[in-house]
Amino acid sequence: MNNAVWTLLQPRLIDAANGFRSRASGIRRLLFLLVGLVFWIGAFLIFYRVLAYFESVQDFGDILAIKLLSMMMLTFFTLLLFSSIINSLSHLYLSRDLSLVHSLPVSVRDIFWARWLGSAFDSSWMVIAFSLPVILSYGWVFQAGPGFYLAAVGAVLCLCLIAAGISSLIVLCGAALLPAGKIRTLFVILGVLLALLLVLVLRLIRPEQLVNPDSFASAVLYLNSMQALDRPWLPTTWITDVMRLSLKGKWGLSGFNLALAASCFLFLLFLNDTLARLLYFRGFSRSQTTAKRLFAPLMYRGISWEFPLGFLSRPARAVAVKEIRSFFRDSTQWPQLFLICALIVVYLYNFSVLPLDRTPISSVYLQNVFSFLNVGLAAFVLSAIAARFVFPAVSTEGEAFWIIQAAPVALKTFLWIKFFLYAIPLLILSEILIVASNLLLGVTSLMMIVSVVTIFCLVPAIVALAVGLGARFPDFKSENPALSATSFGGVLFMLLSFGLIALVIILEAGPVYKIFMARISGHGFSFWTILWLILSFAFALLLCVFAVFFPMKAGEKHLLAK
Amino acid sequence: MIELHDLTKDYKTTLAVDRLNLHVRAGEIYGFIGPNGAGKTTTIRMMGGIIEPTSGAISIGGIDLRKDPVAAKKMIGFVPDRPFLYEKLTGSEFLRFIADLYAVAPRTAARRAEELLRQFALWNWGNEIIESYSHGMKQRLIIAAALLHDPKVMIIDEPMVGLDPEAVRQVRDILKELAKQNVTVFVSTHTLSLAEDLCDRIGVISKGTLLAEGTVAELNRAAKTGNAGLEDVFLTLVREG
Repeated sequence: MNNAVWTLLQPRLIDAANGFRSRASGIRRLLFLLVGLVFWIGAFLIFYRVLAYFESVQDFGDILAIKLLSMMMLTFFTLLLFSSIINSLSHLYLSRDLSLVHSLPVSVRDIFWARWLGSAFDSSWMVIAFSLPVILSYGWVFQAGPGFYLAAVGAVLCLCLIAAGISSLIVLCGAALLPAGKIRTLFVILGVLLALLLVLVLRLIRPEQLVNPDSFASAVLYLNSMQALDRPWLPTTWITDVMRLSLKGKWGLSGFNLALAASCFLFLLFLNDTLARLLYFRGFSRSQTTAKRLFAPLMYRGISWEFPLGFLSRPARAVAVKEIRSFFRDSTQWPQLFLICALIVVYLYNFSVLPLDRTPISSVYLQNVFSFLNVGLAAFVLSAIAARFVFPAVSTEGEAFWIIQAAPVALKTFLWIKFFLYAIPLLILSEILIVASNLLLGVTSLMMIVSVVTIFCLVPAIVALAVGLGARFPDFKSENPALSATSFGGVLFMLLSFGLIALVIILEAGPVYKIFMARISGHGFSFWTILWLILSFAFALLLCVFAVFFPMKAGEKHLLAK
Repeated sequence: MIELHDLTKDYKTTLAVDRLNLHVRAGEIYGFIGPNGAGKTTTIRMMGGIIEPTSGAISIGGIDLRKDPVAAKKMIGFVPDRPFLYEKLTGSEFLRFIADLYAVAPRTAARRAEELLRQFALWNWGNEIIESYSHGMKQRLIIAAALLHDPKVMIIDEPMVGLDPEAVRQVRDILKELAKQNVTVFVSTHTLSLAEDLCDRIGVISKGTLLAEGTVAELNRAAKTGNAGLEDVFLTLVREG
């Protein structure tokens, strides 16, 4: 790395070092460390158990373990491509400091590589962090030596760098080809493509077939399907092979695959270097021209889309319209919206392929257990969506927050407008998810009512928690408020939200089971049982009510004192 | 119209404003000058209801800002020192947003928005997103937005930053015209020539404390600088303060 690239990386490194040194962040670091540790240990234990089970299956065990590895590498690679493209676009073309950086007496090539390194790091660290417990569990279960760990870490690094190399090539070409002022459109195009890619990849690997070898006519067909995605030209195949072969101690072949991956990365570096010299500044210069609106105003016979908001008070409608406009005009939101749509499709599809009829347990019982677990799962999905979109809702006001502070609108009103703006669509989305998945499962009417009512109580609680904590820990100076989901406040929200969901599910599990079994057996309830049922449901409801009002109040208090 | 009583803002590490007392009459243009870090922006942000004072009171048109912030803010047109706006809205949409927040009647709002967009040479840009505006255009849009609801009090922090000479003259004329219509104007600035030309009275603040206030002649007497210009008066007061 030459001096100029190193110098260009300095502000970022110093910023990180200063953040690390600051005393105020001590508790935050501890919380992150704790969450990271719990996550790592949890991931390790899950993989260890799964792999240990696979190893115990004669003949097929090893194949299943490698198939799982190959599926994971393919998923990692898709995620890496997705996040690298988004990061490259921001780091190379849209960051606020780019005007300053391009005015400095350094070559465009140096700027490109400094930004590329930042982008590659940002898009890869999470995948690397997650892959470590996976690698450890494989090494542990298959009793691998230190050589395996070295090879596996090298392979994952190559996977990240290849994804970063491919992504920057796509972004370089896209920025050069798109008309000036339309570079943000790239987000929309990529969003659609990535959503399709995700659905395609998940359907290609068909994870449900792993648990159903009977559906294949013969063992040969089953084995063939296991190899289906291991195309020799896919980088994920080389990476899987590096690990697979080093697990078996075949160092020569493992090294060959690692060399293949490394040479692919080096070739991508060369291509990036050549194209960056030719295209980067041209694309950057075009991205600096006036931003164009993505879509024309939506009107039908003179009636605007704002018409349904007519029942709101004028200040409330003003904030609501502003929020909706700003959200949909921010093209960085689009890929994630498309991705959510893709995930919902996959989520619902998975319920339709659950092999409930092939289990030894009573299918009615299992359907209803799944339905109950589905409430928790849907609420967890909702928490993740809230962390990404609702938690940053106050921070997205950015430096323009003075407008709200100076306006004759109480901060309380402002926060409640934000709450309703997100609570209503998320409630509709969650109820659709729950009802659709319950219909696919064919659950009893009791479970349908329990699921619908539980989600109806949980959604406002989760949204209020997100809005309230977002107001308690706002970041009005952030260049990308969406990133606040990974801040201290964002992590705290996830923890509290998961805690709330778990508590509500635990409080309801016993009573629901009791009612369900009583219906099957036709027994009645004693007085104490009825009291227990009422208290459990009432406490769950109280928790949700508390989660709605307390964080909102805390957020308002903090904003007022700011 | 504006009254500050023992207004204090203590950031723990810095005492930004220390027991500031001010009285600005209706229809008066009051200039607020001081060196960097003197506490001007903090004072203005407290007057706009953006930050809470540590102690003391602010009264706008007889309404205590702490007790009834919504009523007090309805009377204020606030212009901050930096033009941060909702970048994804168009200029027209932003003005409509402001009109809704301040509950300006829809017809009046539409008419005023057009007038102001034309007045500030933004009419042709009204349907473009603010992201594409220059710094000066954003500043003009903020001033237009502050005037939209016909405020009784204008609080302006550095009004001329980023404006071209024509816009500077235009804003100066508008502020004078507003004062004639009995609107109170409180303006903080580093442009001493502007303060001298525009303001009826000027307050000099340094290290959070009001050093002197009055007309240029009264400030000259306080600083014992004879008939010197505002620049000399200012430098003397700040040096001695």
